[in-house]
Amino acid sequence: MIRSLRWRLQLWHALVLFIVLAVFGVVVYFLQWQTRLQQIDAELDRTAEVLAMRVRRLMPGPPFGRPPFEGPGGPPRFNQPGQPFPGPRGPNNMDRGNRPPRGPDDERRPPPNRPPRDIANDQTAPGPRGPNPRPPQFDPNNPSGRPIDNPPWQMSRWFDDVLRRFRDFGGPRGDRPGLDLPEEFAHLFEGPEDRRMYFLIWNRDGRVLEKSASAPDLPFPALHVSENDLPVRLVRHRAHFREVVLAGRFETNILVGRSLRHDIGLSRRFAGMLTLAAIGVLGIGLLGGWWFTGRAIRPLETMTKTAESISAQNLAQRINITETDSELGQLAVVLNQTFDRLQAAFERQTRFTADASHELRTPVAVILAQIELSLARPRSEQDYREALATCLRASQRMKSLIENLLVLARLDAGAAELRLEKVALDQLVGEAVELIQPLADQRKIAITCELAPVTVPADRHRLSQVLTNLLTNAVRYNRDDGSIVVTVSEEAETAVVAIRDTGIGIAPEHLPHIFDRFFRVDPARSRSEGSSGLGLAICQSLVAAHHGTLTTTSTLGEGTTMELRLPRGAKPPAG
Amino acid sequence: MRVLVVEDEPDLQRVVAMALREDDYAVDTADDGEEGLYKAQAWDYDALVLDVMLPKRDGWSVLSTLRETKPTPVLMLTARDTVPDRVKGLNLGADDYLVKPFELSELMARLRALIRRSKGQPRPILEIGEVRVDTASKTVAVRGELAALTAKEYCLLEMLALHRGTLVTRTMIYDHLFDENDDSLSNLVDVYISNLRRKLGHELITTRRGQGYLIDD
Repeated sequence: MIRSLRWRLQLWHALVLFIVLAVFGVVVYFLQWQTRLQQIDAELDRTAEVLAMRVRRLMPGPPFGRPPFEGPGGPPRFNQPGQPFPGPRGPNNMDRGNRPPRGPDDERRPPPNRPPRDIANDQTAPGPRGPNPRPPQFDPNNPSGRPIDNPPWQMSRWFDDVLRRFRDFGGPRGDRPGLDLPEEFAHLFEGPEDRRMYFLIWNRDGRVLEKSASAPDLPFPALHVSENDLPVRLVRHRAHFREVVLAGRFETNILVGRSLRHDIGLSRRFAGMLTLAAIGVLGIGLLGGWWFTGRAIRPLETMTKTAESISAQNLAQRINITETDSELGQLAVVLNQTFDRLQAAFERQTRFTADASHELRTPVAVILAQIELSLARPRSEQDYREALATCLRASQRMKSLIENLLVLARLDAGAAELRLEKVALDQLVGEAVELIQPLADQRKIAITCELAPVTVPADRHRLSQVLTNLLTNAVRYNRDDGSIVVTVSEEAETAVVAIRDTGIGIAPEHLPHIFDRFFRVDPARSRSEGSSGLGLAICQSLVAAHHGTLTTTSTLGEGTTMELRLPRGAKPPAG
Repeated sequence: MRVLVVEDEPDLQRVVAMALREDDYAVDTADDGEEGLYKAQAWDYDALVLDVMLPKRDGWSVLSTLRETKPTPVLMLTARDTVPDRVKGLNLGADDYLVKPFELSELMARLRALIRRSKGQPRPILEIGEVRVDTASKTVAVRGELAALTAKEYCLLEMLALHRGTLVTRTMIYDHLFDENDDSLSNLVDVYISNLRRKLGHELITTRRGQGYLIDD
């Protein structure tokens, strides 16, 4: 199995191209063969017509025309002896009639009083009789089909007459009267065997009246004449010969044929050229296809290269997009967006790790330095106490930090288990306010509560954690003698806790970041008050685990409102 | 030697300052970047111990601003230990780098080396005639015998030895021997000098009356 898209495309391209070329080639070959055959047929037809005309000129006057179908007393249709046959080619017949050789022939013409009906029967009879067109009146093997009133000798005599005339022109041209073929016409029947034509002329008995020198011995083409006495034309293949048979023309069957060998040769050469051309086209098509697939795939390759070069150290690289409308351009756009998100996530993660390590390193540094200093020389009990107190503070900070980090990690992993129960939100808020009251009293901050009774499905402990944290912030970032308003209300689907303080507020540029981990508006102040910068991040994660939202609105210098919305509904928060 | 410690974590600042003082440094402290920069620009410290994550103005900013005016050697203290962070610090002109958590002994050793290098004395042992000053162990030997010097006497000798061949003014001595909270009497230096002369020999330190003191090359 070929893995390369380019090769696969190329292979399919080649296959399709090959099929198209093959079909096209075959169609073209047959069309040219048909055309060639039509040309040959036309040529043969023309020759046959000429022959037919010549034959007609030899006719010993019309022995019969279309006979009247009424009784023997009908008016004779044919001419008197010596008169030319009044056919459509009158002038010709006139010429022919004036020729000297015709004189003696006149006496052999059928007598005018011959009943024309017979002739009529003779001409019309073979049609309805089916596939065997052989005139039965002259066939000794098949005498039964003859009508009774059609004496065989009369027709026989006439044909003998015709036959004799044909025999006469079998000799060298010019010596005797005959078909009298013109020079350029006779030329058709000469030449190499695979180019020349041949003809045979039979009478209706199947006797060969005349044939060209080039003609092979052919059996009499048994054709039946159509019912309405129209001449029949037949085109046939015999081995590698193409033949046209005109039957029923002036009581003769004329066959003109020629060998197709030369044409077959030409066709083969044509086929060869066609194949060569097809191979050429295939080659050019495949080269073009290779080029096109290369062009089509090049963006993919650059994308692959770019994607390969993007690593943790080099996340900033992007796929260069020239055309955003194409499918590949859209793919590149999507990929670039993915890289953006990846980079953002990665940077967030890196920052978080760096912040976490920083936050942990500092207390460890304190403990390490303090212990090293204390052990450097003997010290007073007071010094040791102070040293131990310092270490304790640092350890407590580390403990709280580690706990917070673990909570966040569990919330991130979706592994924090919430023990959901029906919690009276107003009571919970009341407890949290009580808890925070001493802290507020220290700074003379008044806390006002407007608590409507609402129950929500929640984890009591976690939710209490969130509320305490929010209230602590409200006190910590408040001004002395300030106030805090806590309201619990319910809406259609949600319970809302709003905590509004009159504190320092948050600057608009900081507002989007306050839920970021380790973000502190004022690092010095927070640090001195023991904040890790994780409190709000944890709050938000916890609220999100409850399927709630935590939003902030704030005006710098006037105060901040934290709004906590929790779903009241039966929808059990997952996690 | 006088050192400024800029560190916002109060416990760490206290411990580091205490350790330096016990190592006979005069130590000033600053809690944030602004204060640290102000003090660093106002005084000629022998070295700066500078935290990176500082409120108001971070360590990088303090360093780059300070470098515009003063060549004071700076030892950066940081919790960030990635290579780009270190490179950034060194590019901005930090002379040394120490990642938290660190050991006090390493901090002291690096600080000593930093100060020595900045005075153009890369070797830890200074020899002035028959007097041999070991800055690593902070001991002084005269003809192979250890001399018993007080901390301040040693600091004064070390300072004069590090500035060997150049005049050391009384102001410089005060600046470098006493920290911002020290309110010593002005004749204390004269007392230290006479003590040193008594213990190490009278010809060691030359007095330029009205100007200062000098150890000849």
